[in-house]
Amino acid sequence: MPGFHTQFQGYAVRFSPFEDGKLAVATSQNYGIIGNGRQYVLQMGPGGITEWRSFDTADGLYDCVWSEANENILVSASGDGSIKVWDVAAPPQANPLRSFEEHTHEVYSLHWNQVRRDCFLSGSWDDTIKLWSLDAPGSLRTFAEHTYCVYAAQWNPAAADVFLSASGDCTVKVWDLRQPRPTLSLAAHRYEVLAADWCKYNDCVIATGSVDKSIKIWDVRMPKRELATLLGHTYAVRRVLFSPHAETLVASCSYDMTVRLWDYAAPEDALVRIWDHHSEFAVGLDWSTLVEGLLASCGWDEMTFAWHMNGDPRAS
Amino acid sequence: MHRAAQRQQVLLGHLAAAALGAPEQQLGAHPTSAGDSAAYERRALSCDDVVIVSACRTALCKAKRGGFKDTPVDDLIAAVLKETIRRSGVEPEAVGDVCFGSVMGPSSQRANECRIAMFLAGFPESVPVHTVNRQCSSGLQAIAQVAASIKAGYYTIGIAGGVESMTTNPMAWEGAINPRVAESQCAQDCLLPMGITSENVAAQYGVSRETQDAFAARSHRLAAAAQAAGKFRDEIVPVATALKDPKTGEEKRVVIDQDDGIRPGTTPASLGQLKPVFKKGGSTTAGNSSQVTDGAAAVLLMTRAEAARRGLPILGIFRSFAAVGVPPAVMGIGPAVAIPAAVEMAGLGLDDIDVFEINEAFASQATYSVDKLGLDMDRVNPNGGAIALGHPLGCTGARQTATLLYEMQRRGKAARFGVVSMCIGSGMGAAAVFERGGEVDAPPRGAVNSQLVGLSRDAVVS
Repeated sequence: MPGFHTQFQGYAVRFSPFEDGKLAVATSQNYGIIGNGRQYVLQMGPGGITEWRSFDTADGLYDCVWSEANENILVSASGDGSIKVWDVAAPPQANPLRSFEEHTHEVYSLHWNQVRRDCFLSGSWDDTIKLWSLDAPGSLRTFAEHTYCVYAAQWNPAAADVFLSASGDCTVKVWDLRQPRPTLSLAAHRYEVLAADWCKYNDCVIATGSVDKSIKIWDVRMPKRELATLLGHTYAVRRVLFSPHAETLVASCSYDMTVRLWDYAAPEDALVRIWDHHSEFAVGLDWSTLVEGLLASCGWDEMTFAWHMNGDPRAS
Repeated sequence: MHRAAQRQQVLLGHLAAAALGAPEQQLGAHPTSAGDSAAYERRALSCDDVVIVSACRTALCKAKRGGFKDTPVDDLIAAVLKETIRRSGVEPEAVGDVCFGSVMGPSSQRANECRIAMFLAGFPESVPVHTVNRQCSSGLQAIAQVAASIKAGYYTIGIAGGVESMTTNPMAWEGAINPRVAESQCAQDCLLPMGITSENVAAQYGVSRETQDAFAARSHRLAAAAQAAGKFRDEIVPVATALKDPKTGEEKRVVIDQDDGIRPGTTPASLGQLKPVFKKGGSTTAGNSSQVTDGAAAVLLMTRAEAARRGLPILGIFRSFAAVGVPPAVMGIGPAVAIPAAVEMAGLGLDDIDVFEINEAFASQATYSVDKLGLDMDRVNPNGGAIALGHPLGCTGARQTATLLYEMQRRGKAARFGVVSMCIGSGMGAAAVFERGGEVDAPPRGAVNSQLVGLSRDAVVS
């Protein structure tokens, strides 16, 4: 059972935080350059991964995120600047529940607040980050400090008001909702920063992934110098994610078509695994919070895989 | 169409640096050809290193009067086995073999009891078990044996441990003695009671009664301090068991999680009151000898590759092991011969060792061994030894290993190499070297007070 074939190219995959067998996959037609999008909800079972729901959209989808408060709510980021809210328990004709239309360019990332659980962030190619709640008709706040596309916005796993953003202006900024401006602007790489994430066990440690092919680990209290640099990817790093179960494990996927696992505790020998199961850009990646060591990835080869980090994606 | 062109532009930007060629290279770290004694840390880790990922023990309780006097020996074994599985998360069926050191128990019956304990601890029938007996070093011998088997490729994950219930199996000689022992002095000396060998060491090497009592008082003082500071908390597995009131016969459910042989108020003066028990005019007393004790301990070993695959923290690396023979009449000098042998085998010098766990069978032989090797007393048994904690014969080696590894974890980078050693009845000594280099995991961050910023990550705040 080698993965699941989606009709369009995969852009993002997310495990449901409520049901360990559910996967959401955001896809776009024609590599996301032009055409439609489709939001899949997949079901992992003993017989393999099967489609459970799918919702079509007018423009390509670049990211998706599950609600942390309601297991049926799924949100997708669309190329036309809109954010679609789906009720996966309801049929396609009853969806989307909402469409937030404020961003003026492609919405490229979404992340739900895991502490307060009532709001989420969107990062867009209009250089802004917006804060949303399903209870409010429009965005609650707009954060406009970046000077180029925002590629990622991630909440801090411990502090409900703190998040980071990674941008094509080569900086990573750390924000606090209680402050008007970013509390830190980190010139993380010499090229665009496509990905960033917080360590789940140390709320001061972040990882950044860049077009310069490197992943860097930082302590936000010491922004002068990175804690570690993880070299190995041969093209831009598209996503980097800390393990929810181990402090120093980091997974990444890249335009070099590989998914890699790193342990930054031994920086000079950090690479733990390489998977080359994708035959095109590996773009979407997620760790399961419910099953330790379970990973999922999707890519432009229209394939979605879920596997245990000790195993082979093509075998599981 | 304009929009599509813009999108293409952004995505092409993501491939910009591909033209750069190789990413900015760091200096490559090649393995150094310098020995382990090099002042800098060795960084070449081998995937086939045998590492310890879990070490735990029961409390050590006085035989016949202590917390385990009514606990069957298989319950003690099952407790440490179960805890080993719990701590590591290793699925029991993945364990290739289990080896327990046991000295006094009837050999075949003890092997059977170990098998029973495996089932009580939830192991499937597919996992085998065996026992070893090298007298007082059995627990360490079990670790060495499992490490060797892993190195040999018999399996990648093994559990080694030790157990003794001196309540159930007191020291005794069964059957007749071969009359031919008279033909060999050494053969005859094998029959000497251990206390007499201690008197021999004291007499032959001039270890005074005062020195022995001072050493014994130190053991109690350090063990009491370690217990009060909660230093044994990480290694001890609480055991829920029953205790019978010796008078009424009434049974009470209890949880045993504290060593009960430690006497905090012990001083050289109070020990000086005791009478020698083995020889008239001798110097070995009940106070400066190890206690008669019940307990069990277990250690989980695997290859480094396996530990990395499972993401398990590494407590220490098994580096070397040596067992040597010495004259049976002075069996207590074993560590003085075994430690240099094991240390040399690891490519080290005695100066490289930061912590020693030397079994205190008797204060006489422990003091002699430390003096003979010229060891810094501050590095020896920093949390007390068998005089305070007790000496459950088969368990001791594994117990010392657990105590050593946690002490080294507390010391962080200040402790890189540690040694476990003991003397062995009938005239032998054994020693093993463990490393806690830069390649092992940092202690859990929770141990450090998060308000104290600026501390190095291996700092320990107590």
